[in-house]
Amino acid sequence: MASVKLTDVKKIYDNKVVAVHDFNLEIADKEFVVFVGPSGCGKSTTLRMIAGLEDISDGIVEIDGTVVNDLQPKDRDIAMVFQNYALYPHMTVYDNIAFSLRLQKMPEDQVYEKVTNAAEILGITEYLTRKPRALSGGQRQRVAIGRAMVRNAKVFLMDEPLSNLDAKLRNQMRAEIILLRQKLDTTFIYVTHDQTEAMTLGDRIVIMRDGIIEQVGTPTEVFEMPRNIFVAEFIGAPKMNMIQTQLVREWDRYFVTPFGTRMEVTGEKKEELLAKGVRGGEIMLGVRPEHMVLTENDGIPCTLEVNEMMGSELHLHVYTQDETRLIVRIPTINLTLDQRKALTYGKGLQVSFESKVMHFFDKETGMNLIYGG
Amino acid sequence: MSEKNVTAPMKRHMGLRTSRAIGNSLIYALLICISIIWLVPFVCIVLQSFRVELKGPVGYVIPKQWGFDNYVALFQTDFPRWYTNTFISALVTAMLQTIIVLCMSYTLSRFRFKMRKPLMRFMLILGMFPGMLTMIILYRVLKDLGMTQANAVPGLILVYIASSGMGYYVSKGFFDTIPKSLDEAARVDGATRFQVLKKIILPLSKPIVIYTILTAFMGPWGDYVFAQYISFGTSSGMNVAVGMYRWLNKDQIANSYTMFCAGGVLVAIPVTVLFLCLQKYYVEGVTGGAVKG
Amino acid sequence: MKTYTDLEYLKLSKGQKLLYKISRFFCSIPQKIIGLFAALWNLIKKGCSLVKNEAVDIWSTFVNGDWKTKVSFLVMGFGNLARGQILRGLLFLLFEVVFIGYMILSGGYWLSMLPTLGTKGPEEVYDFVLDAYYTVYNDNSFKILLYGVLTIFFIIAFIYTWRVNVRQNKLAEQILAKGKKLKSGKDDLRSLVDDQFHKTLMALPLTGILIFTVMPIVFMILVAFTNYDGAHDGYYSNLFGWVGLDNFNTMLNWNVNSGGSVQSYAATFGEVLSWTLMWAFFATFTNYFLGMFVAMAINKKGINLKKLWRTVLVMTIAIPQFISLLYVSKMFAKNGIINGFLMNMGWIDQALPFWEDPTWARITVIITNIWIGIPYLMLITTGILMNIPADLYESARIDGANPWQQYTKITLPYMLFVTGPYLLTSFTGNMNNFNVIYLLTGGAPTNPAASSAAGTVGYTDLLITWLFKITQGAESQYYLASVVGILVFVVVALISLIVYNVLPSIKNEEDFQ
Repeated sequence: MASVKLTDVKKIYDNKVVAVHDFNLEIADKEFVVFVGPSGCGKSTTLRMIAGLEDISDGIVEIDGTVVNDLQPKDRDIAMVFQNYALYPHMTVYDNIAFSLRLQKMPEDQVYEKVTNAAEILGITEYLTRKPRALSGGQRQRVAIGRAMVRNAKVFLMDEPLSNLDAKLRNQMRAEIILLRQKLDTTFIYVTHDQTEAMTLGDRIVIMRDGIIEQVGTPTEVFEMPRNIFVAEFIGAPKMNMIQTQLVREWDRYFVTPFGTRMEVTGEKKEELLAKGVRGGEIMLGVRPEHMVLTENDGIPCTLEVNEMMGSELHLHVYTQDETRLIVRIPTINLTLDQRKALTYGKGLQVSFESKVMHFFDKETGMNLIYGG
Repeated sequence: MSEKNVTAPMKRHMGLRTSRAIGNSLIYALLICISIIWLVPFVCIVLQSFRVELKGPVGYVIPKQWGFDNYVALFQTDFPRWYTNTFISALVTAMLQTIIVLCMSYTLSRFRFKMRKPLMRFMLILGMFPGMLTMIILYRVLKDLGMTQANAVPGLILVYIASSGMGYYVSKGFFDTIPKSLDEAARVDGATRFQVLKKIILPLSKPIVIYTILTAFMGPWGDYVFAQYISFGTSSGMNVAVGMYRWLNKDQIANSYTMFCAGGVLVAIPVTVLFLCLQKYYVEGVTGGAVKG
Repeated sequence: MKTYTDLEYLKLSKGQKLLYKISRFFCSIPQKIIGLFAALWNLIKKGCSLVKNEAVDIWSTFVNGDWKTKVSFLVMGFGNLARGQILRGLLFLLFEVVFIGYMILSGGYWLSMLPTLGTKGPEEVYDFVLDAYYTVYNDNSFKILLYGVLTIFFIIAFIYTWRVNVRQNKLAEQILAKGKKLKSGKDDLRSLVDDQFHKTLMALPLTGILIFTVMPIVFMILVAFTNYDGAHDGYYSNLFGWVGLDNFNTMLNWNVNSGGSVQSYAATFGEVLSWTLMWAFFATFTNYFLGMFVAMAINKKGINLKKLWRTVLVMTIAIPQFISLLYVSKMFAKNGIINGFLMNMGWIDQALPFWEDPTWARITVIITNIWIGIPYLMLITTGILMNIPADLYESARIDGANPWQQYTKITLPYMLFVTGPYLLTSFTGNMNNFNVIYLLTGGAPTNPAASSAAGTVGYTDLLITWLFKITQGAESQYYLASVVGILVFVVVALISLIVYNVLPSIKNEEDFQ
């Protein structure tokens, strides 16, 4: 139950490799913040600096208003769940959960109460006398969470806690973490490489790349208003289609010309472009696969390469005349069986999209022309 | 025709099986040979230690006259003293050396400090000097301190344990296999580094602790060179290796060869028993840590 | 030389590939040597700039520091004491007092004597009262050298501590300037079991290594430049003194005769060294391959009683080597069991010269070493063999590899890769394998041409047993022993350096992972 504040935090390794560049972030009390990014982006390093497991090369980390740079992990009042659970193999589940309490010299009857209480919440009461070796992945994960839970720590850190679980269990545990969060009601910092986890869990998402924060925002913000191409492609699956094209301004009208067609930008997007005073030129036009539709005419002509049947939807991999690869995501229910059967390799299609789903990025810098900068 | 078709694969199958059987029996024969070759010297020692009729080396193995004479004779020499010397120095060395080695290897495995790599490289280079060379000076220094010859045991222990920090390779290799996230979890849970060592690492390191104790015990138990320097011709300060070595000198061998065998049996028994009991850990230590280095 | 791209290289035939690799290796040598010198030059430059930076830092600390800091330059720990860090301050102060006391009381003396190692040897003095001569012992070269080295170590330690003391003052000023609190003595003590725990853990082991290994090695290296031996022990008989490079000249010059022997020390050294290398090679690789073979035999599918076979071999590790080796040496003796057995069976008329003939003796020690070494290698290789993923073999079998091909294409590369560093240490270990040689043969049979005033040299003597023999007896030519020791170090270091540079496990660490 505390705020966390990072000011100009930097991590430079001995070999002069900079893992984290000036990291600035304020995390409010009881907020759930997710650090997300591809592997090697510095998200785990940042978390470990907050935990005190990595030295902070420069900058200040504050927890609850206290500078903790020089404090040992044990003195920071944090709890942490590790990717590989890090359960003590020689101790029973009970002893694992009780470990931190016993280090605090808590009386055994209180320890008992706290541990059994946590075990009940997590549904692992029947395994309390077992060793971690005898548990399944999901159960181990629960023990790891239990171990962090009993601490009543100020900040709850989780380092890719679900990435060692299979897909089904991961979905289940994700839901449980949401429940847990409601019960614990404390500050969470959660690290993951999986954008779905980030979107579903976080109050706010911090998207990182190469040690730099690309964008901080709520799930809606990062999805609808990505600051740059990287964020746009990273959030959402399958990733956003990028089309190299021209943005043409004629008085107060805007046109894009993907693949030789000409579409006018209308509505809200037009207003926003006008408000920003965007001039036009070479751009990258981003359109999410689910926002593309098949049409009979006036669309962009392309050829079907792969048809992935995902159950509720189809992922159509198509290429245009200049060999640009696009993905179109279509709800299965929108097509008849015959239409679906006809979607085979080499079939010619036409796709189109509306103005309101367009994202405009500068071709050179990759910044969003409307929301970037 | 059809019969042939059925039997052809059968025949090949049988061929495979018989060739494997021949191969296996060859291996059995080999293993039996090896076992005999490896055990013969030890059987010979035991048999000859019971020989009464002649005390020198002879060309046959099985004694013509059996008895405990050689064992009794052992106790009229300085052998009990040597045995005690050896036992005390081995025991103390085993304890202290284990502590030192574990401290060193745990540190080098777990802490990342500025001097770590240079330190390891420095110790590697130090190890390339013949250790025997240092004995020339250590002998004179210890002599000045009165820890040689008749008082060889403390001096010997000092020499054994003093540089044992350099033998950290095997146990560091083992510690490296314990995930670092366990340390980190414990530290986040509120443990100091010392508590991490005591409550997490040591309980998980039973095999390597036992391996270290065992090797630390066996070193002094069979050491010749250092003991030879430190005791320097004084019988009461010798260990079994130095003392018994002299029994095989040209002028003594005719009278003490069988006594050497009897002494050898007495020296070998405790370590062998200890070793067989703890074999599992020794094997784990050798296979786990030795190669990783 | 033409360099190929990867794809061009793949097109070459096997022989061409080998030729290409070899020529590449030799072509890279000059580059490597240049690289070595460049690295050395960089090191020197780095060292210079380090010294410069330190000097600048010390100066600026003095100029910019407050009066507490300035006093600390003279009175160590004053700054700590003045700023309330009592524990640290007292330790610094104590160290300074001890150092100055030591230097005045004895350090100065040892240091002043170091250039000569003593001038006044033992004298016969006539006692008029007793009407007899007695000996007065004066300077002690041994102690002068020893304490001289110690004093130099102490001075270095003092300079380092003084530097730390200066730096601490600077840091303390910075911390106080930021308005933060300094660490108290209690904090310091607490950190010794936590974030500074490594210092606590290593204090004892490193002190031991410093006193019992580093110091003696420095001492012995210095001895190589003196004439310290049985006749010049520095106190009781005669003083010893510096002789410069004379000993190296004796040892490495083919034309210098070595007092009484037929050939020069250099020739003897060459002979012993070549046998040492030969021995190390055979001892390492026979053990390695035969041990692996035994391990594979025991691990083969369908072989029962695995545990029994293993235990039989492991048991032999337990028995102290001095017993088994001495016993085996007597078994092979002229009147030993083996000759007795062979003669009883009527296979030979005369005892075989196991230890008497040079070639026989060399082969016999290698064979006996196999007997000693296989159990270890069996254990080590068993562990690694079991770690080779079974699917490698399965896929090789599906690809059509027979057992021999599986061995050469999968087992052997994997083993060599994993055990590369082990093979190196085992090679150098065998070069210094005192026990096996000394306990088996004691170096015998004697090589009359090589034996000299420094003692007998045998055909099975390794450098290390030769070194041991030099230090024994009345002659005890310690200076020669330390020259040999230094040369052993040089040889071992060279081999290690070369092997480390070509070893695949160090170059491509991830290949098999």
